[in-house]
Amino acid sequence: MSNNPLTFNQTVRGIAEFIEVAIHTILYVRQIYPAEIFVRRKKYDTPVFQSRHPALNEYISGAVKAITDELILGNVDKVVVVIKDKGDVALERFIFSVETMIQVENFNKDTSQISVENAMTPLSLGQYFRSFLVKLCMVEAQLGQMYLGEDVSFAIVIELKDDKPPTGSNPKEPPPWVPAEGQHTTSGAGDDAELHVIRAVNTGIINLSLVVQESEEKLHREREK
Amino acid sequence: MTFSTSTTMATDSVPPSASNSSDYYFEPDDPAFLETLQNTVLPGDLPVDATKALQQAQPLKRSYRESEDDRGDVYGAAHFGDFGEYMRRKRAKLQLQNAGIAGDETLEQAPQIFKGISIYINGYTTPSVQDLRQLIIRHGGVFQPYLDRKELVTHIITCSLTPAKVQEFKNMKVVRPEWLVESAKQGVLLPWRNFIFRHNERSEPSQGVRPLQKSLLATFSSSSQQQQQQQPNASSSTQKRKPPRPVIPIVKPKPAPDPLSNPLYTTDPKSSKEAQHVPYYAAHESNPNAQRAMENPAWRSAHTSIAADFIEGYYKNSRLHHLSTWKAELKSLLQEAQERAENGVVDILDSDVDGNGDGEATAGVDKVSAESEDLSDAGASGVSMRGAEFVLRSPTKGKDKGKGKAGPPGEDRVIMHCDFDCFFVSAGLVKRPQYKGKPIVVCHSQGAQGGTSSTSEVASASYEARGFGIKNGMSLQQARKLCPDIITIPYEFELYKQFSLKFYTILMKHADELQAVSVDEALIDVTSTVKRLRSKATPDTLASPGFDPAKELAEAIRAQVRRATGCEVSIGVAHNILLSRLATRRAKPAGSYHLVPDEVDEFLAPLDIKDLHGFGRSAKQKALEKLGVTMLGELKEKSKGVLCDALGKSMGETLYNAVRGVDEKKLESDKKRKSVSCDINYGIRFENNEQVETFIHQMANEVTRRMEEIKVLGRSITLKIMKRDPTAPVEPPKFLGHGACDVFNKQMGLFGPHGRATSDSKVIGDHAWRMLKAYNFNPKELRGIGIQIQKLEPASGAPTEPGQGRLSFQKVERTKPSEDAVKARREAISKALEEARAAEAQTPIVKEPLRSRSTSVQPPAFGLPSFSQVDKSVFNALPDDIRSELEIEYKRRSASPFPVPERASTTPATDAKPKPKPSPLTRNNALFPFPKKIFIKGTNRPNVKRITQQLAPQRAPAYSPNKKNLFMKRPGLAAWKVPETELRKLNIDPEVFAMLPKNIQREQITAARLLKTMGTIPEKSEHRVVLKPRKVDHGEVFRQPPPKARHVLPPSLKQQSSGGQKLYFTETDDIQNIIEQWVTRFKNHPPNGKDIDFFAKWLVKSVDREVATDEGLVRAIAVMKWWLMMVKRYFGQHEYGRLHDDEPSREEKVGEAWWAAFRNVKEQMDAVAKKRFGGKLSLR
Repeated sequence: MSNNPLTFNQTVRGIAEFIEVAIHTILYVRQIYPAEIFVRRKKYDTPVFQSRHPALNEYISGAVKAITDELILGNVDKVVVVIKDKGDVALERFIFSVETMIQVENFNKDTSQISVENAMTPLSLGQYFRSFLVKLCMVEAQLGQMYLGEDVSFAIVIELKDDKPPTGSNPKEPPPWVPAEGQHTTSGAGDDAELHVIRAVNTGIINLSLVVQESEEKLHREREK
Repeated sequence: MTFSTSTTMATDSVPPSASNSSDYYFEPDDPAFLETLQNTVLPGDLPVDATKALQQAQPLKRSYRESEDDRGDVYGAAHFGDFGEYMRRKRAKLQLQNAGIAGDETLEQAPQIFKGISIYINGYTTPSVQDLRQLIIRHGGVFQPYLDRKELVTHIITCSLTPAKVQEFKNMKVVRPEWLVESAKQGVLLPWRNFIFRHNERSEPSQGVRPLQKSLLATFSSSSQQQQQQQPNASSSTQKRKPPRPVIPIVKPKPAPDPLSNPLYTTDPKSSKEAQHVPYYAAHESNPNAQRAMENPAWRSAHTSIAADFIEGYYKNSRLHHLSTWKAELKSLLQEAQERAENGVVDILDSDVDGNGDGEATAGVDKVSAESEDLSDAGASGVSMRGAEFVLRSPTKGKDKGKGKAGPPGEDRVIMHCDFDCFFVSAGLVKRPQYKGKPIVVCHSQGAQGGTSSTSEVASASYEARGFGIKNGMSLQQARKLCPDIITIPYEFELYKQFSLKFYTILMKHADELQAVSVDEALIDVTSTVKRLRSKATPDTLASPGFDPAKELAEAIRAQVRRATGCEVSIGVAHNILLSRLATRRAKPAGSYHLVPDEVDEFLAPLDIKDLHGFGRSAKQKALEKLGVTMLGELKEKSKGVLCDALGKSMGETLYNAVRGVDEKKLESDKKRKSVSCDINYGIRFENNEQVETFIHQMANEVTRRMEEIKVLGRSITLKIMKRDPTAPVEPPKFLGHGACDVFNKQMGLFGPHGRATSDSKVIGDHAWRMLKAYNFNPKELRGIGIQIQKLEPASGAPTEPGQGRLSFQKVERTKPSEDAVKARREAISKALEEARAAEAQTPIVKEPLRSRSTSVQPPAFGLPSFSQVDKSVFNALPDDIRSELEIEYKRRSASPFPVPERASTTPATDAKPKPKPSPLTRNNALFPFPKKIFIKGTNRPNVKRITQQLAPQRAPAYSPNKKNLFMKRPGLAAWKVPETELRKLNIDPEVFAMLPKNIQREQITAARLLKTMGTIPEKSEHRVVLKPRKVDHGEVFRQPPPKARHVLPPSLKQQSSGGQKLYFTETDDIQNIIEQWVTRFKNHPPNGKDIDFFAKWLVKSVDREVATDEGLVRAIAVMKWWLMMVKRYFGQHEYGRLHDDEPSREEKVGEAWWAAFRNVKEQMDAVAKKRFGGKLSLR
């Protein structure tokens, strides 16, 4: 199975799953929550930390679910995990940049049999994700330690292509998304924000990259210290 | 031929003009016959001198009889096998018999009015053949028992013809027997044209006898002839029909059976859903008569839409058509009346009904009836209402309309709804008082005809008939079931028209405003009349409790109408339209009812929703389903929102108001016509598309006719198609009806020439046909076609001509030569001609004679010989003005339209020919102003290009004429050429090659080329490859090819390697290596600009996601980091610039240059990255 190239839905699920794992890892690495609530697990053949807090887990998995819906539609441009202080000022933005490379018919998306020709295999995608996570764990080297104590919080933001509204969810329910705060978005990033590239992968179906942006405010505050 | 002698005799004796009248029957079928026909003057044609007619007709008869008499053996034994002899004798015997009748002394001598007429009687006639024969012979005509020689017969008498005979007799004079009968009765030969037999006047056993009611178009078409007629009664007598057999009905109203809870009465339901509600409308699912009839192709071609005169016939007999036409006509009459009122040219009639007594009202009525008699006289000739006019009473109307508000609002208004009581029936009863009080219906089918299966629709039923449960819209068959003794009376459209006009005339006198609802129904606003009545009333009458001026007025109107027409009208009075309509229901039959505001609630509560105008069966259904109630009283308790939910927004709102007795609608007295249409959904049975197309074009003609009648043009066309529902039987229950159908509508713009609005039948027909074709329906499935034209605009007031503009040529005053001048010129010409002839005679060489006649008499543009052919001597001899005219013309010709090289045009081919001298007249002569005045400013060359462009057809793309290659012939096989050099190379002798035919040349050259390139000519493969379509295995599911992943090629760094090969680097490591080598090599020199650009280009590209994806970004960052490291390694101390202001050392300069380069590239990358992520890149 792993030798067959990815299918569209596999890719979407894989990416969504990775985003979920990565969110947990980010929360751990950036010390948003105390280390005690995290448990060490193995994912993608690498040790990762997962939150044990049910409310937090539910929030994350709900968000990822909504992200998945949008990913299937191919509307997503970026998924951003915003680390913010208690004044809701974005300090760091972990940006999962997504680029849908091909248009696949719905019936082809659904049948798992139809692999996308020339695409990456699931096995190597897993390896890429491991490399993402390894690099993510070492991001502290670039960003420095967070010393903000319990004031820190986070938010999950998606940015869609061409100002499209999120549509992917169940049409009967209200969309799970609310408009994001300007400063949390890419257009709100100041000129002096700095971008660190963590890793990128081209699956040929949906290309994914993870970058971290330190906001102007954070850099400004650190300089003042 | 035998008859030629006699006819030539006739020709000589008759002036040729006398045969004009029969011209229009000619078709080149039988030249001999046609010649005879043309040369024969018939007494029926024109009142020709009787003796003349006798003279020319006599030979016909005599020659015939003589030839037979000569044999003398007419009564002898016939020889075996000689059938010709038998027939000859039989004919002769019959003629002898005729002679016997003519010579019968016992009969009174009748005037010989039929002299010269030879008549053949076809088929069954009334009166019978024998009677007619006697009639003919007694009046001097010839009766022809056989039609084996058409030339012997002048007229054919018939009551009915088969379609084949219609075709056969199309060039003959086919007349109804009434012609003979009437002529004999009056003792004068009446013009036969008034009695032309029209093919569709037939009786159809399955549909009952069509009433002989003279119909709209027939009267129109023959009206012109009727004017010439001396006795107008002659034709109208044919309209007399036997009254239907009187059947004494048992007037014992049975309780009306209600077969379905919610019955719908129509004879031809459009959808099967509707059809479910029609209670046993017809005896059969599919009409067996129709099925049988349709099997007969001749019948089909005569009676369905294939027939050429179908549309005409359809409209002649369509009741609905008459009604709608009348309504439109009434409306336009009203509009005219209003316009006249607004223009102030009204002579206000004495319209005082506002006395108390009947006396004045009677006076009014007298006036009305007198007027209406005038009307009926004026409009008696046709069924149309055109020609009549209304006079609007109050000219204040126009002012009111200007304010957009008519009459006082609210409960002060008085609206009357006037409606005849079963109009058709009561109109019919005026002439048949014996049927009063009996169950009567009006329908097409008459008497006992059609039996129990007649599907003829009941248009109107008397109250007695309604007592049996008969309703309008039922089929006759249904009605018979309910009341076996029902009496049917025919339509009398003319009568209806007269009554309607009288009715409206009366209403007009009282109304402030009038809305024509239909022929027998109108809404009038009588507010001011009532007010006046009230003001005139004495105080004590006002005080009396029963005083109601509105009701009095209503009764006065009723009395007037009754007096004028003899029919009863019911009038409902209320303060708005809705209530007045409801009040009429209470008023009926033959009464009036004033619904006063206080009683409204009480009045409305027990009514059903269906009783409201505008709410029908479906509304009731909805109300019942969604609200559970249909009574207005109960509906009143529902909120507006609930009603809107159940019935839709506007319906709900209307109902909400209606149950409260509120109706804001205004009388629509001057609604503009929005569309003109022609719908036919009866008898539509086609076999192929050609028939459909013809039919559509015929319909388009009809539409055009209607548009022209009201003088409009249209911009939009809608085509309505009814197609047989696949589940419906081929022949619907209604005879030739449409049955259950799917309805399709299509609309498109209608563009006349130049995109203008149009009423052209050709354009309309083409548009409609194109739309229908687009549906690609099977023509056999079509059941109804409708063409509607919308976006109307008035045809008058010539619109500005769009399209090509006009050049403003200078207007030329064409100088008319005076009479004397012309005369003088003529003389001069003849003189010149004589001279020329003389000269010709002298000269030995025969010169081509000048066609002087043509040159001088005809306009110079035609028939002018070319200049070289003009005889010089003659030319010079011409008078000056003519010569100069010719000169100019020749000049003009040589100048245009094909410009000839100048020398050729000015120098004549031969010296002998004169050189046209430029005469002073050329300049000033205004006859040919062409080259003048079309000059562009500044140049004095005519702007021919612009003119030709404008003259080019507008629609076609404007190819400029200099694009020659557009029109050039494409090089074909003939132009195909192989250069000689190549031929030599291929070892082919060019001379021999040139001799070969073209296709062999090609073959040879191809073979030679192949031989040269491949060495051999490829063998033809042994077995032929047969191309077959791939077999599709239906068991196997076809799968689309799987989607393909898209990988973006990373931008590469190209480098020339030492071996002359190009190297492409994409990997991070490689590029880092190259950067390292570069920096290392240049560590003592500032970087080369080209090198910087080389790397910068790659780096910037890599950052751009569109080009390199985010992996590119990763690579670019890694490379930059490495570059930074290298720069730091070598020039670390120069990173932050110099600390001193001295002249920088070389080392410093190099370092700063590297840093500058690095920072410059970084900035470029940041700019790209910013677009995507904001901020800048970090290299930490």
